[in-house]
Amino acid sequence: MNNLFDKRPRLARSNKVVSLSEAIDEIRNGDVLMMGSFVDTRRPMAAAYEIVRQQKHNLILLAQCSLAEDIMVGAGCAIAWRGCYTGIATFGLSPATLRKTEAGKFFPDEIGHLDIIYGALAAMVGSPFVATRATLGSDVLNDQLDRNRILIDKAGNKAMIPKKKFELIEDPFYNQGLVKLLPAMPADAAIIHTQMAGEKGTARISGSLAFDHYFVHAARTVIVTTEQIVPEEYLRRDPNRNQIPCTAVDMVVEIPWGGHPSQVMGYYDTDIPFIRDYVLSARTDEGFERWVGEWILDVKSRDQYLDKLGASRLEGLRAADPQGYRSRS
Amino acid sequence: MTKEYAKIGEYSAVEAMVCHSARFLANFDGKKGLIGTGLPLVASQLAKKLYSPNMIIFIETGQADANPQELAISIMDSRLTYGSSWQMGDPEGLYPLSRNEIDFGFIGGAQIDKYGNVNSTFIGGDYNKPAKRLAGTAGAVDIGVFAKTTVILMAHQKRRVCEFVDYLTTPGWMVKKWPEGTLVRREELGLQGGPSCFISSMGICKFNDDDKVMYLDKYFPGITLEQIKENTGFDIDVSRADEADHILVDEIRLLREEIDPLNIYKMR
Repeated sequence: MNNLFDKRPRLARSNKVVSLSEAIDEIRNGDVLMMGSFVDTRRPMAAAYEIVRQQKHNLILLAQCSLAEDIMVGAGCAIAWRGCYTGIATFGLSPATLRKTEAGKFFPDEIGHLDIIYGALAAMVGSPFVATRATLGSDVLNDQLDRNRILIDKAGNKAMIPKKKFELIEDPFYNQGLVKLLPAMPADAAIIHTQMAGEKGTARISGSLAFDHYFVHAARTVIVTTEQIVPEEYLRRDPNRNQIPCTAVDMVVEIPWGGHPSQVMGYYDTDIPFIRDYVLSARTDEGFERWVGEWILDVKSRDQYLDKLGASRLEGLRAADPQGYRSRS
Repeated sequence: MTKEYAKIGEYSAVEAMVCHSARFLANFDGKKGLIGTGLPLVASQLAKKLYSPNMIIFIETGQADANPQELAISIMDSRLTYGSSWQMGDPEGLYPLSRNEIDFGFIGGAQIDKYGNVNSTFIGGDYNKPAKRLAGTAGAVDIGVFAKTTVILMAHQKRRVCEFVDYLTTPGWMVKKWPEGTLVRREELGLQGGPSCFISSMGICKFNDDDKVMYLDKYFPGITLEQIKENTGFDIDVSRADEADHILVDEIRLLREEIDPLNIYKMR
């Protein structure tokens, strides 16, 4: 079990700071991949675009198929998913995920929100499973809807998927009745986007941490993309405010606006028209292809992406103190 | 606040649902609620202004005692962070539930059945080829398992208010015992709580003490019992229902002018 969580062997790097394409090079086809944060905030969007550009395939996604994942699913990079959410908040359901699922080209395996947390927790603390009453009584435990076999079949590294989805037992300790044994949910790789990171990998987040402070310890490779690389020494003056230790991180990539069109607290707000346009476009294969062409494949560099958005649009998204978002009033 | 009533037709069915939900939350003043995204969040903001100023809002993405100044568009919106007592992540957002600290959960959904089970995962077809995949299980299953009670809000339509949900996401009163999937009372699985009520766009439904089947408790002004029966997918008991209080001008004004001036939640 322990070797599940061993870090992937790699060339020793004296400097963890790399380019985005170098970092995404480390993601392998068939990897179980956790894309950081949740829904439409602090998402590793530039990394998702690069995964599409590098034409990764057969990825198994964890936790959600929301803004970042939906683009990867639509582009054929991912084959399956284990998680709890396939929407993009008030923007509606994740359009490409729905299309691919209904066409039988993408396989969702439903678990609960706490299941993701406990699965990551088990991996994080090095335990093969945890016990919980989460999802008792629901169809999450319906074996006719269980996709564990498909996940095993599709995973590049079979050791990352448990032999079964769960096991029900009677609580042997406190007589609390039925409990579920839930296996650890490790990942081959996690990619998170943060407000700040140091050159050694220490990272600082504002706003919800989502699952990031768990999955960086539950993944064999951890890539941090960040709005801003700051001197490691600066972050170490106040370590209580850092949520990601340097020891968990393999690579650091500086990408200003790297979370666009999601929100990055303290830096910029959600680009609502951009996400609306994506959600409308991605409802059809043709619309999706057009969108991916326009915003990913035909865009040759990050500079070109930012130029295409334009300075006034980006200025209009900038967050303000003290709230960390851009007030509507 | 003046008790000036809004005229029927001057507000939408969704606004009525949100206002009645906010009133129901008066039962939870001083209590801790885990509030789901979407309209429950909107109703909780109206409740905090009018009916339950001391209600404590937890969000599943890790905000304790959230006090947003602007309406969030997502549970991850930093509008929920600023003004909170504590901002951590999803584990810290949901652990209060599983350690039995949450007095009530407040959620929406796509389908509710006569036992108060809610579906937010898929409608129709089967799992392999769902007629319509939805947003997924998310925290709704955890709220249904662990909260001391739940409050459910959803538009009242025949295909939504049904005999039995296509997928059981949020356990209500009669739930599935696995591996067979036998229908049992939730207590049999050691689950406390259960839904207090279902607030729809037409009325407020509660559950019989004995068989835990949904019945109509209140109908909204301007809505007839016939309309409710026609829009319910099972033969709902309406014999005990009386008319709910009328919507107040101030409730609608707060919703439109202060809480959602940009109509982000398309209530009107």
